[in-house]
Amino acid sequence: MQVSVTFYSYFKDLTGCAGALEELPEGGTLADLYRQLIRRFPKLAAMEKSTLIAVGIDYQPRDYVLKEGDEVALFPPVQGG
Amino acid sequence: MKRKLTIMTEPIDEAALQAQRCMSAGMGAVVYFLGVVRGREDEDPIKAIDYESFREMAEHQFNLLFDQIEKRWPVESIRLVHRIGVVKVGEPSLWVEVVAPHRGEAFAACQFLIDEMKRVVPIWKKPIAGR
Repeated sequence: MQVSVTFYSYFKDLTGCAGALEELPEGGTLADLYRQLIRRFPKLAAMEKSTLIAVGIDYQPRDYVLKEGDEVALFPPVQGG
Repeated sequence: MKRKLTIMTEPIDEAALQAQRCMSAGMGAVVYFLGVVRGREDEDPIKAIDYESFREMAEHQFNLLFDQIEKRWPVESIRLVHRIGVVKVGEPSLWVEVVAPHRGEAFAACQFLIDEMKRVVPIWKKPIAGR
């Protein structure tokens, strides 16, 4: 299955792009996706613990099982105000 | 509970926001908070902050926080304005107003909203160096 990934804030600098399309096996989780992204964008590895992940517009845990076409957002801790 | 959320690039007009205040006779407390860009970030002088948001998610997460406030406190209305884009030092980036019957719930709800915003609402800041 294919999912889209969008990077926000300085994650765009770490990866050098605004987003990516990733192929994952059926049943793949956000944790699987993150491991795959680290292989492609090694600088994300240092941010793994603090990274926030949303699917659509809701936060999801690392064991969330992805579906075809999911829109995933990865970003660092938020800083509004 | 009435709610009005605005995420915008235009400057925050405090006077206009205050002039638009609307509260019923049973309300005895208005708490409002203004967040202003400081001239330093991590000890370094800056001239502005560039705020970025994941807008659709930010609006959704703000509304989830408003839902929680509605369940916890007898708040009549909340208005929140967050500016995005480049905000110069000394200019406001955030304006929040909570109207409630008494000061206790108004202060508590306002504090909760700002604390939680800083935890879950996807807005980020990028300091712009300079004086």
